[in-house]
Amino acid sequence: MEHPILFISLILQNLGLPVPHGPIGDTLLAKLVSPHMTYTWLVMLFLIIVPKLTLGKMSLVPGKGQNFWEVIIGGLEEFMADNMGKEGAKMMFPMLATFAIYILVANMIGLMPGFMSPTSNINITVACTLIIFCTTHILGVKFHGFGYIKHFLGPIPWLIPLMFPIELISHFARLLSLSIRLFGNIMAKETLLGLLFMLAGAYFAPLPILCLGVFVSIVQAVVFLLLSILYFSAAMEHAH
Amino acid sequence: MSTNRKDTLRLLAQFSNVGMTMAFSIFIGVGIGYYLDHKVFAGRTSPWLTLIFLGFGVAAAFRNLYAMASRKDL
Repeated sequence: MEHPILFISLILQNLGLPVPHGPIGDTLLAKLVSPHMTYTWLVMLFLIIVPKLTLGKMSLVPGKGQNFWEVIIGGLEEFMADNMGKEGAKMMFPMLATFAIYILVANMIGLMPGFMSPTSNINITVACTLIIFCTTHILGVKFHGFGYIKHFLGPIPWLIPLMFPIELISHFARLLSLSIRLFGNIMAKETLLGLLFMLAGAYFAPLPILCLGVFVSIVQAVVFLLLSILYFSAAMEHAH
Repeated sequence: MSTNRKDTLRLLAQFSNVGMTMAFSIFIGVGIGYYLDHKVFAGRTSPWLTLIFLGFGVAAAFRNLYAMASRKDL
C-alpha cells in the first residue's frame, strides 16, 4: 500500500528509469530508484540545502534564520546534556542530532500529498537502528575495554550461564523494538492517509489524521532520540 | 521547555518501550529456539530447544521490567 501518486517516482518513470511498483525492485537500478531511496535523498538534499540558504552569514547578533537553527540545535544539545551528561552529549551530539532532525523531517514529509515518508519502509528504520546498536557496543568497548563483557554477565558469578543469553536477548529486543516502533507508527500514518485520501479526499476526511500525523512524527523522532541516548548512557556507565 | 514537561516526555518514551520490549524478547527467544531446532539440528531436538529458549525469552522480558523498576532516576 503506497501513496496513489509519488512525484519523484513519476518524474523518474517519465525519464525512463525502472521505478518499481511494489516496495522493492528486482535489479540494482530498480532498487536505487525505489521510492524510499529517492525520498531519503530528497530529505538529505533538503537538510543540506535549506540550512545553507537560511543561515546566511553567521553573526554574533543572530538574524531570523540563524535564530531558528540556534534554537533547534541549542534545544537538542540541552536535551542531550540533561540525559547523558555534558561529556557524552559533546561526543555524540553530531550523530544523534543528525538522526533526530533526519527522522523528524522524514516523518513530516509524508504528510504532503505526493510525497512519502522514507521511514515508512522498514529498511530505512532498521538501517538507522543498526547504526545506533553498533555504536552502543563500540562506545561500551571504548569506555570499558574488555570489561564491557561485565554488562552481559549479571551480578552473581554462578548465574552467568543463565544471565548471558538473557542479556543477549534483551539487547536484540532493543534493536527490534526501536526499529519496528518507528516503522509501524509511520507506516500506519501513511496507510491511513492514503486510504482516507482515496475514499473521501474531497470531503477533507484526512484532516484529523494529518493533525495526528504531525503529533506522531514529532513524538516518534523524540522517542528515537531519547532511547538511543538512554542506550548510549547505559553502555557508558559502569556495570551494576 | 519546563522541567515537568521534559520529564513527562522522557517517561513517555520509556514506558512506551516496556510493552514492546517484553513482546519482542519473547519472540526473539522463540525465534532462536525454533531456528536451532529446525535448521541447525534438523528437527532432532524438537521441541526442547524452542521451549528452553522460550523460557530465556520470558526471563529476559521480566529482567527488563525488573531493571526498569529498580532504576533510581524514575
